[in-house]
Amino acid sequence: MKACTRIALALVTVVTLAAVAASQPAERGVTATEIVLGTSMPTSGPAAFWGVPIAGAMDAWLKNINDQGGIHGRRLRLVARDDGYLPPRAVANTRELVERDNVFALVASLGTANVFAVRDYVIETQTLWITPLAGADIWAGFRRNKYVFSAYPSYIEEGIYLTTYAAQHLKSKTFAVFYQNDLYGQQGTLGIKRGIDRLPGTKLVRQVSYEVTDAEVAAQAQKLRESGADTVILYATPRHGALIVREMARLGYRPTLVSSFTLCDPAMFALAGEAWNDIYLSSYFPLPGTGDAKVEAVLQTLSRINPALARNPFNAIGGVAFIEPFLEGLRRTGPNLTKDRLVSAMESIRNWDGEILRGVTYGPDRRQGTNRLFMVKSERGQYRKLTDWYVYPTRF
Amino acid sequence: MTQLVQYLVGGLAAGSLYALVALGIVLLYRSSRVLNFAHGDLATLATFVAFTLLASGIPFPVAAAGSLLSAAAIGAAFFFLVLRPAREATLLGKVVTTLGLALVFSGIMQLVWGADTKVLPFPLSDTRVYTLGQVVISEINLGTILAGLALMALLYVLVQRTKVGLAMRAVAQDTTAAQALGIPARRIFGLTWALASALGGAAGILLAPVVYLDPFMMLDPFLKGFAAAVLGGMDSLPGAVVGGFLLGAAESVFAGYVSFKFKTTFAFAVIILVLMVRSEGLLGHEYRRRV
Amino acid sequence: MVRTLVERYEDDLFLVKGAAGWASVIGLLAGLAALPVLLPRIGLGYLLFIVILMAANVIVAVGLNLLVGYTGLISLGHAGFVAIGAYASGLLAARFDLPWPVAWIGAMAISAACGFVVGLPALRLTGPYLTIATLGFGIAVYQTLTNWTGLSGGRMGLAVPPLSLGIAGLTSTQQLCYVALGAAALLVWVGYNLARSHIGRALVAIRDSDIAAEMTGINLTWYKTLAFALSAAYAGIAGAVIAQALRHLEPQSFTFLESITYFAMIVIGGLGTVAGSVIGGVVLTLLPHYLSELKQWLPVVYGAVIIVMMAVEPRGIYGRWVRIKLYFKTWPL
Repeated sequence: MKACTRIALALVTVVTLAAVAASQPAERGVTATEIVLGTSMPTSGPAAFWGVPIAGAMDAWLKNINDQGGIHGRRLRLVARDDGYLPPRAVANTRELVERDNVFALVASLGTANVFAVRDYVIETQTLWITPLAGADIWAGFRRNKYVFSAYPSYIEEGIYLTTYAAQHLKSKTFAVFYQNDLYGQQGTLGIKRGIDRLPGTKLVRQVSYEVTDAEVAAQAQKLRESGADTVILYATPRHGALIVREMARLGYRPTLVSSFTLCDPAMFALAGEAWNDIYLSSYFPLPGTGDAKVEAVLQTLSRINPALARNPFNAIGGVAFIEPFLEGLRRTGPNLTKDRLVSAMESIRNWDGEILRGVTYGPDRRQGTNRLFMVKSERGQYRKLTDWYVYPTRF
Repeated sequence: MTQLVQYLVGGLAAGSLYALVALGIVLLYRSSRVLNFAHGDLATLATFVAFTLLASGIPFPVAAAGSLLSAAAIGAAFFFLVLRPAREATLLGKVVTTLGLALVFSGIMQLVWGADTKVLPFPLSDTRVYTLGQVVISEINLGTILAGLALMALLYVLVQRTKVGLAMRAVAQDTTAAQALGIPARRIFGLTWALASALGGAAGILLAPVVYLDPFMMLDPFLKGFAAAVLGGMDSLPGAVVGGFLLGAAESVFAGYVSFKFKTTFAFAVIILVLMVRSEGLLGHEYRRRV
Repeated sequence: MVRTLVERYEDDLFLVKGAAGWASVIGLLAGLAALPVLLPRIGLGYLLFIVILMAANVIVAVGLNLLVGYTGLISLGHAGFVAIGAYASGLLAARFDLPWPVAWIGAMAISAACGFVVGLPALRLTGPYLTIATLGFGIAVYQTLTNWTGLSGGRMGLAVPPLSLGIAGLTSTQQLCYVALGAAALLVWVGYNLARSHIGRALVAIRDSDIAAEMTGINLTWYKTLAFALSAAYAGIAGAVIAQALRHLEPQSFTFLESITYFAMIVIGGLGTVAGSVIGGVVLTLLPHYLSELKQWLPVVYGAVIIVMMAVEPRGIYGRWVRIKLYFKTWPL
């Protein structure tokens, strides 16, 4: 055999191997034409009012991106499974998404209990996890979070902000809180307590809780009235938020009302009617219906693809907000997509304005994408922006 | 004192809703010994029917009637199409079938109307209130309390004073003997299912303006209604109403003076204590099987 | 086909009959033993978690069937016992650093003790009255776990230290799978033996007529509370399995809806049979999982399947199996 033949053969071998190596999927869930994402959501059961619009909006938004050619030639596919808000089923779904459907990333598992139940598994398998939907504070002090990127506010910091704002601008002295008896409400209440500790001359006079299964809240309203607090802060679902303000109005108790961002839902105007006037709320993105062009455009796109989403614009917008920093990360990574390259690309996101979220920042030591809030006020069926951004310290 | 009265008023308003749910459960249990787990979901479904009718501009009384009729039809259909053919089924088997039905209903509601919270337009105002000293009661709460009492009276007359009621009682006590006497047991059972379902629908329509309409609106009221039925005695219609009001009032007063967090636990503790003394509820008299 | 004539009462009581019976039992056990190693090999490793959940549900179902199917006492609060077992095992392991077998036995004992206490009101109550009493117990457990933060961690949850068999080469999921399957197999065997012992016969007698049972010298107080305690002990072990599977406990996993699911398991599988409980536990674990891709359609299909199963075979899936066996017994006659 001649030398040149040998060289030619060797070259062919090398090229073939390289071609094979290149055509092999370099990363789980990524092919030359597709990126697979997975989510386990309560699309049935009592938490479906969250799960359905969020999952629907994520799906619709990905479809919109695919219609425009995907990201770097890859189409995005979302595998969604229903967990009925039950931790064991969420774990089973997550394992199957990772091990059978080979997803590149998990997006937005919903609910504190479910997030906690799948956390160890997701961390151990080093799966990318985009915005687990639980108050951001559960990640504080959690070290192994290299592949976790959150774009969800901190309930504790929000509680501090609401209290401080009320004391400084609304002359609030005595506070009461109406909260849902789960981690969401408890952490909000904790934030309020911390805020009050920092503000001399203010007092938390009453904490009134409700269970998410409670049908009505008449006794709670009366308890709040008895407390005589000049300001009541709400940490509640839309249904219970509307019930309590209506009930308080009925009893003739009209304190200054301040609320967590979960009640920024425009549906509140229909639910609570007249009682949903002059409420002060914080928000972490421009609300639909407040004239932000980008947000309105997103909402239009979503309802064009899935008309049912127009029924629940607030949660639908949320669905887009939870994934858009990740999509930006994909764009920044470029065509050669691997998990670790994506992580570096995500870490390069600084003060980035998306369609919904504004000022998103990640970094080598930072996984908390959003740390900004502003106040709005409800007036005659609309929200009006009151303040500029307030920035709170990040903790992870 | 005012405080206590106000808590009682709130409790009685909630209690009237429990009582309405309890009435349907008791009516069905009396006749067929079946605990209907689909009662709450069927009621919610009927309320959604009313919602759709109202949204298409139909006046409230017509929409309400249409909703009750559809509930009655679904209830009767379930009896004739599912429960009746499965004659061999044990009592617990039938109970599990109603569980399956509850799942189907809640799924259908989510598919058709979505899972978000809705407002059911209602002729009585929620914000108009009557005040007596410091005590406040809203028009709608007063309305539901009165409606609960009226429905109970109506049912009482129907069951105790009419021929159909007599047939219902006969079938409930001994189906075979009733059939031997020429009572059409199957039709009576179907009628009972229809009536109980319509009653559930009425509860749903009265409940929705107070707690808002969503597919899970009945989850807690159904449980409490069931508990109220047991507290009053599963085979006693007045017992259901008494149980409902007692449960609502006890819960509200306990929540107001002791703790919101253990309010449901307290309600059940009271029921268990009552059952320790009277094992068939306050006004119940179970038909006893002798050896 | 060889027909055997049952000549003595003892023959009728044999748990495993003949060589064919032994072969199938050994085959089944060998299959279960191979499962945790085999599944990951054929790329179905994600099913291990489902197998663990299935084992837990089977354990609860066998225990619940002892209470409902054999004794005729109804419980809609079994999620409460499962929760007690889960938290007890978690707390014993996390706070007192007990090795996991001790923690599990402790969990079983604590749950059984609670079952005994709940059994006391059951002496006077039947039907819907007992249903409400047990339902109230389940809700009380849930609310206590939610609000007694010092004990349970409340809504923040409780982290459970992972168990280890100390076998190198097996992942933690595989090890847990072995423990769960072992526990399920052992408890199913215990269930069969309980059912055919004098205890099982006493329970059945109480179910059929408690007055007549009392006349024949069965101590109602003792056996009714025993049934509750046994049933709760089963649920306690199942809770320990679930605690290990989730490794993070939160009251959310133990709601009233879970109690209803457990109840549906035994009715769908077959009341008053151990095999029926096993079938029910397996079916109602697999069903929602395989339907989970249907998303919003899940409840409709799930509910419809339950209705159809009950309509086709009111005595549960095991009842259908018995009928098929009876049909072939005289085949081809």
